[in-house]
Order: sequence, then structure tokens, then C-alpha cells
Amino acid sequence: VTRKDVRMRVNVDPAVCQGHTLCTLAAPQVFLLGEDDGHAYVATEEVPSELEDAVRRAAATCPEGAIRVQD
Amino acid sequence: VWSERNGGYWIVSGRELIGQMAKRPDLLSNDHDPLGRRRGYGGVAIPSPVNSHSRGGFLEMDPPEHLAYRQILNPHLSPTAVERWRPMVRDLARACIDDVIETGSIDFVDDFANIVPAVLTMGMLGFPLVDWVHYCEPAHAIVYTPPHSPGWKRVIELMLLMAARLADELDRAKTNPRPGMLASLVEAQQNDPDVFNDEDILGTLTLLIGGGFDTTTALLSHAVHWLDGRSIDRAGLVQDGSRLDTATEEFLRFATPAQGGGRTITADCEIAGHRFRRDDRVWMAYGLTNHDAEAFPDPDDIVLDRFPNRHAAFGLGIHRCIGSNLARMSFKSMIGEVLTRLPDYEICHDGIVRYEDVGTINGYQHMPAAFSPGPRRGEPLDQVIETWQVALDAPRA
Repeated sequence: VTRKDVRMRVNVDPAVCQGHTLCTLAAPQVFLLGEDDGHAYVATEEVPSELEDAVRRAAATCPEGAIRVQD
Repeated sequence: VWSERNGGYWIVSGRELIGQMAKRPDLLSNDHDPLGRRRGYGGVAIPSPVNSHSRGGFLEMDPPEHLAYRQILNPHLSPTAVERWRPMVRDLARACIDDVIETGSIDFVDDFANIVPAVLTMGMLGFPLVDWVHYCEPAHAIVYTPPHSPGWKRVIELMLLMAARLADELDRAKTNPRPGMLASLVEAQQNDPDVFNDEDILGTLTLLIGGGFDTTTALLSHAVHWLDGRSIDRAGLVQDGSRLDTATEEFLRFATPAQGGGRTITADCEIAGHRFRRDDRVWMAYGLTNHDAEAFPDPDDIVLDRFPNRHAAFGLGIHRCIGSNLARMSFKSMIGEVLTRLPDYEICHDGIVRYEDVGTINGYQHMPAAFSPGPRRGEPLDQVIETWQVALDAPRA
């Protein structure tokens, strides 16, 4: 479901993520870490507008470039 | 850059290039095969170690073997798993400081940063905690002593003693395992004795001890060194947890305890416009990369709130340091203890001893400091270790 107030979408490429965990420093509300290996996944692909900056910072700090942002 | 030294090898730095290369484990092999059973590759050390007959655990393996080991060990080292060790790390850090706080002097390496990660590693492996003393000197000496130097003979002797001790520990774990990483490896051996053979389990134990002991020690030493005389920065780190988070990443970037790793090219290829030939040796220079001015403005300055910070201190790609979550947790606990208990420490610069060889680990052998003495807060280290051993050995509910 695409809501009107959501303009940005984000996901983590599981083949590229290696579990550096830096995304959770930038946007802990959006990125969660797997129990077993600490690899990241998104709580929801739809980014609330107030978290857009944090998600951009997360994408910019990912050492592997695993975070895909669409806006 | 091509270097003619050590038989000739490429030095790869530059943030974009190294990132692209790390994503090609199909073209870059970590395999170390000194006996020529497979392709005879040289592993992750350049030059390859002389007189070595075995490889350094899963760091010197390629998929799928490498992945099999990571899957067994990852659950011990995930963010959730390492969080369970935080209370022990806190107690150990507190006790190490207690044991010197009435004297007014400390060697941050010998009295502190050598001890906490070592005891922690013992606990995670499922070894007796008190045994940290037997592994401490070999683990550090092998990285700070240059091969072919007069001290190398002593390193070989220490490593042989350590190997014998590890073999005993493996035997014991097969009959009477303590919970921990070794028990998980022994259990995996029952399902897949080829991949989890004794030799590679022993190599893995050596790798985990080397990785667990010396790297966090180096990071802590660099951090207390840089914070010398910077009282405003120290106070900021104590007061603001998120500042400590970004500062930790910045110390990692700046110091890069593990400077890089060797690879062997498996086929003629071109990556990001660079041509390589089969069997070329390559050094992934993560330390140099972390000072790439295009990726990190003012790369030689420490900027405590630098963020984003795409540093490669834990390596990139499938061989990312498996202990990175543990390193962060223990470093933050340790530096927190230093800054709250010894807020006015001053490094004694004459007593600093840097590793003679920083090619593997960028560390210090000694980092002495003086401070205003204070009161103890709890039991001494040996009692804390004893208490934690009892707690770890108690049957779990």
C-alpha cells in the first residue's frame, strides 16, 4: 500500500550486506539486524518523511553500498 | 600500485576500487595451501609465512567452506549475542582499573587493553578464563615481531607451546565441552568431519585468539593516545553515547588495527578498469583506504562526529571481521571505564613503544600513563575472573 505522505522507499540488498551494522547508527527505526548474523533488513520499505534524512545518511555510510533508496 | 617486494604484488587502495574488488570472491581467493593440495595459493599474508604447513582458519578459506564456518560462529558474534557479554566486560574493565587506581600509574596495554579482550575471548571460546595468560604473549608477539629478526625464534617457540595447548583444549572439548565457540565447532565436526577437520579447527582457534586479542588492544591504545591532553573531547565522550558511537567508528577508521589482507587472483580479469592476471598476488590495503581523501575529507584528522563514515576497518565483502560487533561493544565499555575512572590521565610519552612491525596490526606494546589516584570500587581481577567462571559453568535454565 502506497500512502500519499510516503515518498521514499528503501531496502537492503541481502546479497551485498555483510553485517557492518552502521545503518542502525543512522536510522535505528528503519534498519533492524538479524538475530543470527547481524545482517540488516528494513522494518518497512516505506520511509516516513521525518526519517528520510536519516535513511540517506544510512545509505551513505554503508561500507558495502547495500542500501537502495528510491525517492 | 605494483610492488616488486616479496615476490611482487598489487597494493589495492582507494575506496571505490577496493569496495568493488571485495565483492568478487569468485576472482579473489583467500585460500592458503602451503602443501599444494589444491592450487598452492599463498593465503592472506604477504609474504606468506615460512615453514607454515597449515592455514589460518576460515580467513584462509574460500566459499563454500568459509561460509560453513561463518554459519557456525556467527550466532556467537551477532549484536544480540555479544550484548550478553557486556556485564562481564564491564566487571573486567572495572577490576583492571581497580588493580592500579591506588597507584596513580597504568600501562594501558599491559594492565588493561591486553587483559579485557583476552579474558573475553577465552569465555567466548569456552576455554578456562584463567588461561588468558598463556595465550596473551604469543598472540601479541607474533604480530609485533618482524620475521627474520632476532626475536623470531622466541615467537616460534611460543607458537609451538600455544599449538600444543590448543590441541589439548580440542581433545577436552570432544569429551567434556564447555558452552562456547569451540563446542559449536566440535558439534559441527560430528556432522561434517571433512570441512571441520582437526587441523582447520585448530587454525580457526588460532585465528579467533589473534583476532580477539590484539586488535581491540590496538584500537584502545590509539584512542587513549589521541585523547591525551584533549580533556574537552574526553568529557564529551562520557556525556554523550551517540558521540561515543561515531567516535568509535572514527578511531577504527583512523587507526585501522588490522591493516589489510592478501588475496590471490584466480583468473585473468579486469575489475574497475584494472587488469589482473591469474595467480597475481594482491594486498587489500584497508588501512591506506581509510585515509583516502576522496572518501574521507581531512583523512589524517580525527573528527569524533564524522558521519557518514564508510570506513573499511573491518574489511569488506564476505570476509568482514566476524568479531566486529564484539570489538565495538568491548571498546566502548573499556574506553568508558578509562574516561570515568581516570579522567585526568596523562600519557608518559617516553614510555610509549610502538609495534616494531605494524604491517599486520597497527598497535603499541606499551602505553604508560599517570593519573590522580582514586579508591577501588570492587574485587580484584583474579576474583572477578573466578566469580565469572563459576557463573559461566553453572547449568543454564
